[in-house]
Amino acid sequence: MQRNVYDSVKETLYYEKLANGLDVYMLPKPGFQKTYATFATRYGSIDNHFQVEGGKEVRVPDGIAHFLEHKMFEEPEGDIFSTFASQGASANAFTSFDRTVYLFSATERIAENLTTLVNFVQNPYFTDANVEKEKGIIAQEIKMYQDHPDWRCYYGLIEAMYREHPVRIDIAGTVSSISQITKETLYECYRTFYHPGNMMLFVVGGVDPEEVFALIRENQEGKHFENQGAVRRFYPQEPPGVAMKKKVVHLPVSLPKCLFGFKETVNGLEGRELLELELGTKLMLEILYGQSSDYYQSLYDEHLISDQFGYDFQCSRDYAFSMIGGETRDPELLLSRVEAQFNEALEKGIGEADFERCKRKRIGAFLRMLNSPEAIANQFSNYQFKGCNLFDILPVYESLTLDRINSRLREHVKWEQFAVSIVTGDSV
Amino acid sequence: MKPITYSRTTANQMRLHVLPTGQFKTYTIAVYIGQPLSEKTVTMNALIPFVLRRGTERFPETKKFREQLDDMYGAGFGFDIYKRGDYQIVQFRMDVIHDQFVPGSGPLLKQSLQFLGEMLTRPVLEDGGFRSRYVEDEKTNLRKRIEAVVNDKIRYAAERCIEEMCKDEPYRLHPLGNIGELEQITPESLYNAYQNWLSTAPIDIYVVGQTTLEEAEEYVKTYFPIKRNANPSYANLPPSIKERPVQTVVERMQVSQGKLNMGLRTKLTYADPQYPALLMYNGILGGYPHSKLFVNVREKASLAYYASSRMDGHKGIITIQSGIEIANYEKAVNIIQQQLEAIRRGDIHDLELEQTKAMIANQLNELQDSAFELIAFDFNSVLSGVQRSVPELIAEVRRIDRETVQSVASQIRLDTIYFLRDQEGE
Repeated sequence: MQRNVYDSVKETLYYEKLANGLDVYMLPKPGFQKTYATFATRYGSIDNHFQVEGGKEVRVPDGIAHFLEHKMFEEPEGDIFSTFASQGASANAFTSFDRTVYLFSATERIAENLTTLVNFVQNPYFTDANVEKEKGIIAQEIKMYQDHPDWRCYYGLIEAMYREHPVRIDIAGTVSSISQITKETLYECYRTFYHPGNMMLFVVGGVDPEEVFALIRENQEGKHFENQGAVRRFYPQEPPGVAMKKKVVHLPVSLPKCLFGFKETVNGLEGRELLELELGTKLMLEILYGQSSDYYQSLYDEHLISDQFGYDFQCSRDYAFSMIGGETRDPELLLSRVEAQFNEALEKGIGEADFERCKRKRIGAFLRMLNSPEAIANQFSNYQFKGCNLFDILPVYESLTLDRINSRLREHVKWEQFAVSIVTGDSV
Repeated sequence: MKPITYSRTTANQMRLHVLPTGQFKTYTIAVYIGQPLSEKTVTMNALIPFVLRRGTERFPETKKFREQLDDMYGAGFGFDIYKRGDYQIVQFRMDVIHDQFVPGSGPLLKQSLQFLGEMLTRPVLEDGGFRSRYVEDEKTNLRKRIEAVVNDKIRYAAERCIEEMCKDEPYRLHPLGNIGELEQITPESLYNAYQNWLSTAPIDIYVVGQTTLEEAEEYVKTYFPIKRNANPSYANLPPSIKERPVQTVVERMQVSQGKLNMGLRTKLTYADPQYPALLMYNGILGGYPHSKLFVNVREKASLAYYASSRMDGHKGIITIQSGIEIANYEKAVNIIQQQLEAIRRGDIHDLELEQTKAMIANQLNELQDSAFELIAFDFNSVLSGVQRSVPELIAEVRRIDRETVQSVASQIRLDTIYFLRDQEGE
C-alpha cells in the first residue's frame, strides 16, 4: 500500500495495484459520515471500434457502453438497487465519452456495500428478454434529452465541430442504434472493457484504508480473470477545421440558446501536460468570460446574455474543445461581439492583474470542491484515466504563468476551428 | 459521532445560528429571508436579490463588486428564491476557504460577512431609489428567467401541475413572480418594498465552520446594521383538504415525450407528529429506485426512464412525475393509481419498509457531511416551529410500521393529473 500525503490540502491518498491489475485508491475523510465509492472502467461512448490482441476487429452499435451500464444493474436474483436499498446505500451510475462509473454512497454497512458494488459490476447477467425490456426504458431516456434545449445545444456544438471522431455520437445512441444491441454484443464489450486491468476503484469517506484494502484484496483474490491481451481502440483521424460552421435546431424555447467554441488538436497528450492544457485554458476563459470580466459585463449590459452565461473546456487524449454561451436575444449580434472581443484579446494580450485575480478564484474553487466527497470521487477517475492526478491541480495552477496563459490564448483562438450551435424557437 | 450543536442568539433582531466545527475546509454562511406568498409582493421580493447583487455603496460597479469575491480566493456567492409552504424564501449563501489553506489571505470569515452585510444593507442608491440602470437590467434578466421555465419540460410540467392544483391558493404563485407585475416596478417602489422586506420579514443567519458564536455575532452586529422592531417567526398553517373530484388537465406543445405529473394532497406537514410516517409514505411510493413507482412504471412495464415522487413537507403536497410515450398515458395513469391503492390497502412488504427506513436514515446521515445541507435541515425547524434533530427523526422513522403508513395513506387524496403532450392526435 502506497501512501501519498498532500500537505497543502491536508489530504492523504492510499494506493495499491492488485495482482489482477485493478487500481485501488482510498482517501480517508475523518469526521465524515458518508463513504462514497466509485468503480470505473476506461470505456465510454467513443469506444465503438476496437480489437483485443489476437482477436478480430469489432464495431459495435452507438450507445452500447451506456446500454451496458443500464444492464449491469440486473442480476439473476433481481435488481441490484434493491440490495443496495436493504443496505441503506444510494447507488447510481453514469456513462461519459470515455468512462463508465458505478457508484454508491452510504453511512452504514460499508463493507457489505463495497462488496455489492464490486460483485455486481463483475457479474454480468444479460438475457434476450432483459435486453429487450431495457430498450423501452432507454428510448424514453433518449426522448427526454431530445426535448431538452440545453442538451440539444451542447450536442449540436460537438456535432458541428467533429466530422469523424466518435465524440460526436450521442452517449445514449439513438432509438434505432440501440435496437441493434443484443446480449452477445453486450457480453463482447463487457469482456473487452471490464477486465480489472482496465478499471479502478476509488473510495472516499470516514473509513479505514487498511480495512478497505484488505476487503477488496480478498474479494479479488477469490475471483478468476483470464489474462487479456492489450485492447486496441480505433479512432478515426479527425481532419482539421470543423464539420460545419453552424448547426441550428428548432425547439420551443423562450429565447434562442447559443453555444460556440474552438476545437483543438491534442495529439495524444496525457498526464501533467494534459492537465496543464486543461487548467490553463479554463483559467484563460475565466479571465475573458468569467462573471467578473469586462467582456461578460459588457455583453450583460447590452442584454445580449443572461446570468446563465458560462464556459467550459473539455479535453482528452484525442479531442479538446471549448464551449461558451447561454441564452441570447440575438445570436448573430452576440457572435459578432464575441469575435471582436477575442480578436481584441489576441491583440492586447491578458494583463497581470486579471491573471492573478482569476488564478486565486480557480484555486479557491478547487479547494472548496475538496469538501465534497462526491465531487472528489467523480473527478478522480476522470483525471486518473487521462494519466493525471486530481491533487496535481493545485500545484499546476500555482505553476501557471501569465506567458503561458497568453500563449494558450493564441493557440486556442483559431477561427477556422470555430463552430456555433443554436437552438431556437423561430422557424426559418 | 459528535452531536450537532448550534449556538444561537439574536443580533439586531435577526436570529443567528452558529455551528462551530472543524469538519470542513470552508466557512459557510446562509441568510434566509421569508415573506408570505402573495400576489402583491411576490414579484418585487423576487427582484430584490437580483438588484442587490449588482453593487454596493463601496463598490457600485458590478465588476468591482464581484472582484471582491475573486480576491477572497474565489468565494462562492449566490442566492435562491423558492417556496416552502406558503412562504417565499430568499436564501443568500456564501462559502469561502478557511484561512489556513491560503496563507496571508486575511480573515476570510470577517470579509465574507462584511461582503454579505454590505450587499444586503448598503445597496447603490440614486434619487431615493435603487440605481435605475440596475433595476432595468435585472427586470430584463428576471423576465428571461421566468420565461425560461418553459425550456425544461420536466420542470415546466411540474410547475404547471402545482399551478393547476393550487389555483385558489397563494401556493400557485411562481417563486420568481409574474411578468405582468414586473413592468410596473420602479427603482423607488422596489426600494420601498426592499426596506419593508428587510425591516419586517423573518431573518435567519447561519454560520458553519471554525468560529464561535461571539465572533460571528460581533461581525453580524457590525456589518448588518438593520433597524428592526421585532424578529417574527414563521407561521405555516396546517393544510386542509377540500373533497373534490380529481381534475385532469392536458396541455399541448411541441414535445417528443409526454410528461405525466400528479399532485396529491396530504393533511400532514413537517410540524405534525406524524411527519415521519409521511416521509415513509413518500419513500415507499416513489422516493427511491426500490420504490413502487420506479419498480412498476419503469422496471416492470418499461414505460419510462424516470418515475418518482417528492414532497414539500411544509406544504403537505406530494407530486409524482414521469416521462412517457404519449400513447401510454392511460396505461401509466392506471399503474400509478394502482400503486396509490396498494399502499392504501396496506400492500407493503416488510422488505419495502426496511429498505425505505434504511434509505431515509442514510439520506439524513449523509446531509451532515455538507454544511449547506446541515443548514437547510435546521432551517426546517425554524420554518415549522418544531425542533427535530437528525438522530431523533431517524429514530421516529425507524418506529413506523405498516399500519401507520396505511393510516397516513387513507388521508391522502389524488387532486390533479396533468399531462403535457404533443400537438398531434386526439
